[in-house]
Amino acid sequence: MRETFFIRTVVVLACVCLCEANAGADDLSYNRDIRPILSDKCFFCHGPDENKREAELRLDVEESAVEDVIVPGNPEESALIARITSGDVEERMPPPDSGKQLSGQEIKLLTRWVRDGAKYQPYWAYERPEKHPLPPIPSAMREWPKNWIDRFIADRLHHDRLHHESLSPRSQADPATLIRRLSFDLTGLPPTVEAVKAYQLDPSEENYEQYVDRLLSSDRFGERMAVYWLDLVRFADTVGYHGDQDHNITPYRDYVIDSFNDNLPFNQFTREQLAGDLLPNSTIDQKVATGYNRMLQTSHEGGVQVKEYQAIYMADRVRNLSSVWMGATMGCCQCHDHKYDPYSTRDFYSMGAFFADVDELQHFKVGSNGLPTKRPPEISVLSKRDRLRLGAVEANILKLLADLGDKAPAENADAKLPMAAGSGDSKLAELQRLREEKKRIEASKRLTMVTQAIEPRVIRLLPRGNWLDDSGTVVLPQLPKFLNSGKSSTTDNRLSRLDLANWLTDPSDGIGGLTARVQVNRFWYLLFGTGISKSLDDFGGQGESPMHPELLDNLAVQFIEGGWNVKQMIRTIVMSRTYQQSSEWTEELLKKDPYNQLFARQSRFRLPAEMIRDQTLAISGLLVLDYGGPSIKPYQPSGYYRHLNFPKREYKPAEDAGQWRRGIYMHWQRQFLHPMLKATDAPSREECTAERPRSNTPLAALVLLNDPTFVEAARVFAEHVLLQPNLNESQRVTKVFEETLFRAPDKREREVVQTLLQKQRKLYANNPEHAEKLTRIGLTKRSETLDVQELAVWTVLARAIFNLNETITRR
Amino acid sequence: MKNDSTARIDCNRRTFLSSTGVGLGSAAVASMSLRDAKSETSASLTDGLPGLPHHTPKVKRVIFLCMAGGPSHLETFDHKPELAKLDGEPMPDSFTKGQPIAQLQGKPLKCQGPLTQFKQYGQNGQWISDFLPWHQKMADEICILKSLVTEQINHDPAHTFMNTGTAISGRPSMGAWTTYGLGSEADDLPAFVVLTSVGGRNPQPIASRQWASGFLPSRHQGVEFNSGGDPVNYVGNPAGVPNEGQRQLVDTINQLNRHSVIGRVAPEVEARIAAYEMAYRMQTSVPELVDFSDEPKHVLDRYGAVPGDGSFASNCLLARRLAERGVRFIQLYHRGWDHHGDLARYMNICCGLTDKPTYALLSDLKERGMLKDTLIVWGGEFGRTPMFQGKGGPGRDHHIKGFSMWLAGGGVKPGISYGGTDELGYNSVDNVVHVRDLHATMLHLLGIDHHRFSVKFQGLDMRLTGVEESRVLHDVLT
Repeated sequence: MRETFFIRTVVVLACVCLCEANAGADDLSYNRDIRPILSDKCFFCHGPDENKREAELRLDVEESAVEDVIVPGNPEESALIARITSGDVEERMPPPDSGKQLSGQEIKLLTRWVRDGAKYQPYWAYERPEKHPLPPIPSAMREWPKNWIDRFIADRLHHDRLHHESLSPRSQADPATLIRRLSFDLTGLPPTVEAVKAYQLDPSEENYEQYVDRLLSSDRFGERMAVYWLDLVRFADTVGYHGDQDHNITPYRDYVIDSFNDNLPFNQFTREQLAGDLLPNSTIDQKVATGYNRMLQTSHEGGVQVKEYQAIYMADRVRNLSSVWMGATMGCCQCHDHKYDPYSTRDFYSMGAFFADVDELQHFKVGSNGLPTKRPPEISVLSKRDRLRLGAVEANILKLLADLGDKAPAENADAKLPMAAGSGDSKLAELQRLREEKKRIEASKRLTMVTQAIEPRVIRLLPRGNWLDDSGTVVLPQLPKFLNSGKSSTTDNRLSRLDLANWLTDPSDGIGGLTARVQVNRFWYLLFGTGISKSLDDFGGQGESPMHPELLDNLAVQFIEGGWNVKQMIRTIVMSRTYQQSSEWTEELLKKDPYNQLFARQSRFRLPAEMIRDQTLAISGLLVLDYGGPSIKPYQPSGYYRHLNFPKREYKPAEDAGQWRRGIYMHWQRQFLHPMLKATDAPSREECTAERPRSNTPLAALVLLNDPTFVEAARVFAEHVLLQPNLNESQRVTKVFEETLFRAPDKREREVVQTLLQKQRKLYANNPEHAEKLTRIGLTKRSETLDVQELAVWTVLARAIFNLNETITRR
Repeated sequence: MKNDSTARIDCNRRTFLSSTGVGLGSAAVASMSLRDAKSETSASLTDGLPGLPHHTPKVKRVIFLCMAGGPSHLETFDHKPELAKLDGEPMPDSFTKGQPIAQLQGKPLKCQGPLTQFKQYGQNGQWISDFLPWHQKMADEICILKSLVTEQINHDPAHTFMNTGTAISGRPSMGAWTTYGLGSEADDLPAFVVLTSVGGRNPQPIASRQWASGFLPSRHQGVEFNSGGDPVNYVGNPAGVPNEGQRQLVDTINQLNRHSVIGRVAPEVEARIAAYEMAYRMQTSVPELVDFSDEPKHVLDRYGAVPGDGSFASNCLLARRLAERGVRFIQLYHRGWDHHGDLARYMNICCGLTDKPTYALLSDLKERGMLKDTLIVWGGEFGRTPMFQGKGGPGRDHHIKGFSMWLAGGGVKPGISYGGTDELGYNSVDNVVHVRDLHATMLHLLGIDHHRFSVKFQGLDMRLTGVEESRVLHDVLT
């Protein structure tokens, strides 16, 4: 009960703090304090949507508002204030049927704002980011900052507007926690025990930096970053609608992983995905990248109307593009002008027209109920690494052939190697080996959907989004009017997807500044669990203004000026003191900044789905770190796909090493996502997901307790611990803790664990057949040198440790 | 006895909720996402939204009998003698011009008369077809809506529309909305349960999107029960782990979790402990729930339920057991209603599998005094064309401009029909009921004003009923 009260109090306090903060601030800021109120409560009827505008009044445009209802400096004379404070229900704004109400606090703020002169500001997100001078270091914090990021954080903590008193940041996290955090954040995997020990021995800045660089150059970095990107672009293995058949797209996943690993500049990454096919002499990778335009949900269900689905696909693309790159919710404009942001319906369809040349009609005719289905155009490709390897193999073959001359057997001659010794024999063997490798590589070619440009179809504005209505005007590809600096399509000179991609990443003639802000905010989110602006997918008026706008600006500018260098950006952030702080709560922080808007501490949160899986496999030693390739199928409850049809589906779990590969390679069935992924909040990837929820449900607990992947991993980990020579029980317990949590258990933990071991021993001594069953779960062969009952007992202990809050939390 | 058990449940519930009730309230404080904070912190402390219900509810729970595939209104509840007269004639152009059409695109359109007989039943003479002899017996209990319209003509999007009010993926389903608003009455079961049954024509696929929580907290997603294997995924202990062993394991996890935060501020840990406790309780309660051995034979017979057969009949009985245990939203899918051809044959099969169990469920609830606080909804994602389609014997294509559903239970006028289609059963013309109106009415009966029931997502106030007009069907309510 006490706890409930405590929590409740905290939440209430939190709300009070924030409101007071705004009210008590010295200067009101339109963007920070006023616009959110007007946007939420007034713009619905008095905002950008022309067709819904009441009384010809716009409150989002200064001229209109001042002309009609605001007398700057004089609230008493301002109709705005009169209407929101009116005692007459008929007069009072907002009207009751809007379902909106202004709080007393909000009315006070608006009144004060008018009294102070009703100063408007250009909307922050659409202004080009400027480089701000670094704030001076508060004297009390002279030793604190490590790099420039910390200067902004320190400044805000020192002059904390929220509380009129400074908050202190947390101290540096302890070495083990820091290395574990860094390893998860940069690679999605726990560190090795050795890495943690090495840093513990010498927790110097240099060692930290070296470790950062090691992680950034690891292949695992690309895999980690790709998971997030795949959520954004809604990558999945299946078509999503109706029969939810498999489609060919996994080479695109490899492309994304490679791109992050090769540190492909983000602007180029953008161009290749949206318009790789339009780049001069486009490479295979650039073609694979255009799978982006094809990943949306599709259908060839008998009875789909082509025209309807073309409209659906177009809308899907505009929604995704605007979420991924622009942090905009343009989906609203499919039916009406945006209520809160200056995007119009015309902008929506004009953006859609960029994709009018995407060849996709074929699947309505040839889409099959096979696995995979057909979604032409598709190309057959090798992964980038396989292409490189094949090149090397072929070169070596040629060299050997030259060396061997006439002695070389024909490629297809199924010649057994001559057993006799001789100088040429090792070369012959080598040739054979190379030829086999060549065959193996060539056999790994996969089909993948790509974009091919065809004659663009005619795009009309659909009134109210109605695809049956042909009365709308024909639109050409155009950029949103209010963001555009002049480029536009004419009938002779049509803008292309490449123009769109360039506009998105051009800081001077396009919206590169906005794109950069959106992306760095998301990098920050990956490294802090929360963005500088909390709304990762809405930088519009209904989103949340950043608490540290100057910091966000400077990060965006560095991102652009550094050549859209993702690794550099991430490196800069993790080198900051802010990143390296402890994530421990204090009562003070929990009270004053429960959402960690000020970053006076690091964050702690449950690991994302894939990391929970990967960590368990990594600790057990089962994890297979193969890179790229087709999707894999881990164990899954049988019958889970029983509702799928056309065709009926039988799930065949992998029987090879694929069973223990990383979560990023798991088969992503949109309609029936693997229950493990689903229970741990991985999205179905039907739409763009910029932020996964972090839930804590009994279903997730059941997965971690009972899913055979986790039970098998626990048993294999137990084997590993029991196979260590010359350890007593207490030492083995220490090992379990160290290899999972990078620390030894304390006295109480030892007691609890040893009690469990004793009880389980009793249980399995009475039921040896149970021990036999438990230790046979999973495809991994059981170690036959160990006592089966003892193995079962330690398996249970490993399950306990894998389920600990500490284990599944990034701190 | 009743008091005792109620007290126990209340107590459990309170402990459970206060320690955040899987409500994750405190977890949200810890996990810094503002979205979490908004949707989980405030909501979870009472495990329903503060201020809800808006008015006194008529019902506590919903049982939605989803006849997936789209049953024909013209062979169930919508009696059209005119259509019989025009059988085989071309469908008048005035009906079909410019209208969306599914599989009949580009084909000649001709009228298909009703493939069965209709008679009037009950005190008000409700028209019910011969395919539904058991429905005939409950004519005085059900309120037939004959003027439904939807916006999606293909199965998958139409299901999504019926469940979420939009065809765009990623939005919460009605069951998720309901439990989000009103919370759970069940202490050891999920608040939203989905049951699916076997049998019928080659079934159209259904997607878990139909019971998804969308942007609402994940715990509001529908939990699907399986008729074979574990009744809920991973609810069974791993092989070789007896209950006692699992109990020791969960106790150990909870002890270690609790110990790890002594002297520290870590509000998320209590939530974790609560989730593990509930998971463990589900491991016991779910198998008990699906074990029908405590049901007398006459009850099994009444439903036609054979334990473990995965039939609609068994699921109807299971639905009653779930309702008794406080589960708030129960959805039963029966697939196989997609009768493009051979309609009469497949209607016999589908009605044969569902008609009697539906009657049994309704009458059983009534006898137990539970019908008065339950809303039962029956219907598919759309209806079927008055036009002929002939894939192996006469059948009908998908149709969205007019079809029938029915409601029964608390707050619903029994024994009446409402709304109607034109003389050929094509367009709804009288008192048109949009899917949104159905949602608004369902929420109303649950005590929720649909206008005021919204959640911020991507800067918008999202509602189950969306932004278009929608109305509560007061005419059919008591």
